[in-house]
Amino acid sequence: MSLQDELKAQIVKRLPELDVVIGWGQGYDSLHRTPLFITSEADVDKLVFDPLCVHNLSTYLTRYGSAKRIGVVVKGCDSRSVVELLQEKLIHRDKVMVFGLPCEGVADLGKVKRALAAKDLDMGRVRAASFADGDLVVTVSGQEIRLPMAEVQADKCGRCRYHNAVIHDEFAGQPITEAAPDTYADVAAFEEQTLEERMEFWREQMERCVRCYACRNACPLCVCRDYCIGQSREPNWVSQRDGLEEKFFFQMIHATHLAGRCTECGECERACPVDIPLLLLKRKLGKEILELFDYRAGTDPDAKPPLLNFKVQEDTINERGW
Amino acid sequence: MKIGVFVCHCGSNIAGTVDVVQVAEAAKSMPEVAFAKDTMYACSEPGQQGIIDAIKEMGLDGAVVASCTPRMHGSTFMRTVARAGLNPYMFEMANIREHVSWIGKDKVANTRKAIDLVRMAVAKLAQNKPLYSQSFSINKRVMIIGGGVAGIQAALDCADGGLQVVLVEKTTTIGGKMAKLDKTFPTVDCSSCILGPRMVDVAQHPNITLHASAEVDEVFGYVGNYQVEVRKKATYVNWKTCTGCGACMEKCPSKKSKDPFNELIGTTTAINIPFPQAIPKRASIDRDSCIKFKTGKCGICAKVCPTKAIDYDQQDEMITEEVGAIIAATGFDLMDWHVYGQYGAGRYPDVITSLQYERMLSASGPTGGHIKRPSDKKEPKTIVFIQCVGSRDKSVGRPYCTGFCCMYTAKQAILTKDHIPDSESYVFYMDIRAPGKMYDEFTRRAMEEYGAKYIRGRVSMVYPQDGKMIVRGVDTLAGAQVEVEADLVVLAVGAEGAAGSAQLAEKLRISYDSYGFFMEGHPKLKPVETNTAGVYLAGCAQGPKDIPSSVAQGSAAAAKVLSLFSKDQLQSDPQVSKVDLKRCVGCMKCAITCPFGAIKETEVRGEIKAQVIETICQGCGICTSTCRQGAIQLQNFTDNQILAEVNALLSSETEEA
Amino acid sequence: MDKELRIVGFLCNWCSYGGADTAGVGRFVQPTDLRIIRMPCSGRIDPLFVLKTLIGGADGVLVSGCHPRDCHYAEGNYYARRRLEVLKRFLPIIGIDPGRFEYTWVSASEGQRWQHVVTSFTNQIHALGPVQRIGRQSLAKACSLGTVLEPLA
Ligand SMILES: Cc1cc2nc3c(=O)[nH]c(=O)nc-3n(C[C@H](O)[C@H](O)[C@H](O)COP(=O)(O)OP(=O)(O)OC[C@H]3O[C@@H](n4cnc5c(N)ncnc54)[C@H](O)[C@@H]3O)c2cc1C
Ligand code: SF4
Ligand code: SF4
Ligand code: SF4
Ligand code: SF4
Repeated sequence: MSLQDELKAQIVKRLPELDVVIGWGQGYDSLHRTPLFITSEADVDKLVFDPLCVHNLSTYLTRYGSAKRIGVVVKGCDSRSVVELLQEKLIHRDKVMVFGLPCEGVADLGKVKRALAAKDLDMGRVRAASFADGDLVVTVSGQEIRLPMAEVQADKCGRCRYHNAVIHDEFAGQPITEAAPDTYADVAAFEEQTLEERMEFWREQMERCVRCYACRNACPLCVCRDYCIGQSREPNWVSQRDGLEEKFFFQMIHATHLAGRCTECGECERACPVDIPLLLLKRKLGKEILELFDYRAGTDPDAKPPLLNFKVQEDTINERGW
Repeated sequence: MKIGVFVCHCGSNIAGTVDVVQVAEAAKSMPEVAFAKDTMYACSEPGQQGIIDAIKEMGLDGAVVASCTPRMHGSTFMRTVARAGLNPYMFEMANIREHVSWIGKDKVANTRKAIDLVRMAVAKLAQNKPLYSQSFSINKRVMIIGGGVAGIQAALDCADGGLQVVLVEKTTTIGGKMAKLDKTFPTVDCSSCILGPRMVDVAQHPNITLHASAEVDEVFGYVGNYQVEVRKKATYVNWKTCTGCGACMEKCPSKKSKDPFNELIGTTTAINIPFPQAIPKRASIDRDSCIKFKTGKCGICAKVCPTKAIDYDQQDEMITEEVGAIIAATGFDLMDWHVYGQYGAGRYPDVITSLQYERMLSASGPTGGHIKRPSDKKEPKTIVFIQCVGSRDKSVGRPYCTGFCCMYTAKQAILTKDHIPDSESYVFYMDIRAPGKMYDEFTRRAMEEYGAKYIRGRVSMVYPQDGKMIVRGVDTLAGAQVEVEADLVVLAVGAEGAAGSAQLAEKLRISYDSYGFFMEGHPKLKPVETNTAGVYLAGCAQGPKDIPSSVAQGSAAAAKVLSLFSKDQLQSDPQVSKVDLKRCVGCMKCAITCPFGAIKETEVRGEIKAQVIETICQGCGICTSTCRQGAIQLQNFTDNQILAEVNALLSSETEEA
Repeated sequence: MDKELRIVGFLCNWCSYGGADTAGVGRFVQPTDLRIIRMPCSGRIDPLFVLKTLIGGADGVLVSGCHPRDCHYAEGNYYARRRLEVLKRFLPIIGIDPGRFEYTWVSASEGQRWQHVVTSFTNQIHALGPVQRIGRQSLAKACSLGTVLEPLA
């Protein structure tokens, strides 16, 4: 039985206990998948799982009232969001059923787009997409193009330590055994630049921000929604003025609010319509928190997160001597 | 909003280096400011009246006073504003004295800075909201923890003042260290003769409930309404029927039990009453040395007890006491003197502590008041006292002075001469600290009348030789090495907070230092208060002190409780956190970080929400900076109020280039 | 000293604000750049206040609270220490010199220490020089388009 069929069977089996199961279905074209909300056995047939299933579906878990029982299909990275939500008591274990999957990596459509553009092809014209021997095979403008996954895979997948769902009630397929080390090389590379260059980089990036809040809405941990302090008046952290400082500061809000919680799923960055590399900011925080507190968010539902905790004598923070 | 700004000259304190008229002038053009004026002394009676008049005449909604630090006069001006009919929280202060005029001489820069500070205060005030305190009723009972002389004094004063008192003592009798002392300086009167009657008063006072052999397990609640869980530790004797006749002690075959009351220099029976004047005078069994507990056989005490009070199956009992205030008077313990290996502490039987010596001097002690050295029970002729053992000694982590050792050493030297007229006493000291009425006279008497030989200098080592203890040290005044052949060496061991005081402090939510002493609310102005409302301190628990000071603090703490209880209702501080139910997602992160347990979970229309218990909240705002969506806001320090200050400052230009 | 710079201090009421008062009472002369905002506790200081202040154009931000173990509210500075340390380490990625932000502990009795802290921090900020405002480009753009500027906030 294929992994996808195994998953379908599991969902069919457990569906009677649940109000809804969230999975992926076919999107508006052959390269896109979209969240699928399964409420009946007939819906299960529409379920898809392949490297184009990029969405972190746990984002939807907090959008139902606490009365509903929800099933959710998760890849390794997505499952960490579920753990984090559980740890923060934002969802409850007896109300969620986790269908865990092993995942070898998903495609980054931005990279696909650029790879095709390099061949003078338009991603919008892709008519068919499939996977064969580690390649993404697309039919575009009458040609068949093979793009090696290694080239179009999302960056986060290349450094993934958690290919298998870390929490699950059902698990389809065979767990993947190898895991890559994450050395935060991307952060280090960025920090080779001078401070002025970095500031300039962000100025240019943030200038493009249209304040659509797609980043925040995609983040599984931004559960405040209508009450996000990025938009509220009480408290009023950000004015309505559409300036660079406001845009920049909103990203500071998002980043600091995710400190010690962000699982680096990359949804914020993926959702951004103007391609601001938001994950870099979060990874920087993730790196510092790992170094300071030896802590990775979304791995232990019972852990006490480092910023809600302290030691009288910190091992890694020097007392400010001056 | 109509804001009034009052800029104080403070005589020349501010006006000397800040152009206060220009500050007032600049304030006039700030947003919402309807009135601005300089004033000579804002805090003086005419100054305050000027503020009141302006508020009334101009119909102001709030006032900014630019003067000294709010830590000094913040509450003064809040009362002024209230007298003018405004809510006291419609007020802000700009600190242009301590933070401006006193720390810089450049009048131009100072004036610019003062204007900025006023601008920030005005911006904040524009965000202020009236706040109202809540009243709640008080449970007019008080708990006193620790039955030493300080706790006894506090208990009697509170009880005489008409309060119901619950006294909790860890050991089986009250009295504390003073009950162990033979005589007391500077009058050399018998300790138990003056303490005994007070202990009896405690036992007989209709308003005092005494729980001996008891400890505080947990503390809930807040000022006016504490619930304290007390663990009454099993004594294996039913204290309701025990009459304290002592028949059991006479017959108990286990006579080699440890005797903590006698500081382990003697032994006692497994069932015992620590000393004849003990209050309550009740027997208790030491499980570790009782033959019945060790082997299952014996049971003699049960047979001889005339009232059948022995109960080998007794268990710890938990009781809950509800009180409105708590006085912590847990006293001190001697530090672990074994760290002084060079003095042979704990190794040589003839090197003992000052407290052990007190028991030896005491007529009711194990030696019947005869000084005998422990090794061979002979009367010593040469006695060496070493002071500052564990005081003023950074090498063992004790930088502080215990304060009473100089005095009791002099006392012990005097008593030694009284007991053994042909004896010689040597005292090694660092400095003699004898401030206090008749104190210096007292130490002089020890030297001049009683011939105690005082040698200024530290002892480097003590070692045994031919049945003597050789004490080697320096005499820094003579600049020479000295060696004394002693029969007995007495160490004036320094004091530290009583064992378990750190744990108790955590339960009471009061601060403590690294030596186990509780921290007072203010080192000068709040010596018996703590930073937790309704919890007070007395005696050595707060820091080492002698009996007169311990008694004085006991009375002071009692007076504080009596004044707290003189009202029927308490007002809560309205500067507490408030939850915006719409915004709260019920994650309860705020409750994780609140150090006071002031936030509880409630359910509002099926959803979990946070709720602040206003009487417990202390107003730190840790929750506010924990909650991401700003759902819990510390009143008077809300995000918007602080942001208003930040924005006001950033929008003003710095100095022209 | 050269032109005054914009330095903002967030101080806890019980220790460091008191320490600054003590410095005043002792007439310990200090540079005049610093403007102090009084907070109840260092634990009240949301790192976003610091970021807001830096992004809003301040040249330096100084946070000071009670020494660890001496917090008036027992635990506030322990939380602050973690939050602020993370913040300080975060700043370089957005191109802000971490030297523009310091956090320290000064008690109410340490007037002299406060003078030292203010003086060294002010010197440190002057050595770094005035900050390049993040919004300067959009400001310039707005000016060239002839838009009327609202006050920056
Ligand atoms: C050798 C020596 C000689 C001295 N001589 C003199 C002298 O001559 N004149 C003089 O003025 N001062 C003298 N002092 C000082 C004197 O002992 C103290 O000033 C006095 O005992 C302080 O009383 P207190 O009630 O604060 O503490 P303590 O006497 O220590 O009493 C504290 C009480 O609290 C109880 N307790 C402790 N922890 C708990 C708990 N967790 N729960 C419940 N109960 C608890 C203890 O069992 C004890 O009963 C001498 C001290 C020493 C060491
Ligand atoms: S901040 Fe971005 S990377 Fe982090 S959890 Fe949210 S969406 Fe994922
Ligand atoms: S950015 Fe912060 S306030 Fe806004 S939704 Fe995310 S967590 Fe909530
Ligand atoms: S007030 Fe904030 S931190 Fe507290 S439970 Fe509500 S959302 Fe969570
Ligand atoms: S302000 Fe402090 S004491 Fe009050 S609820 Fe918040 S964290 Fe607790």
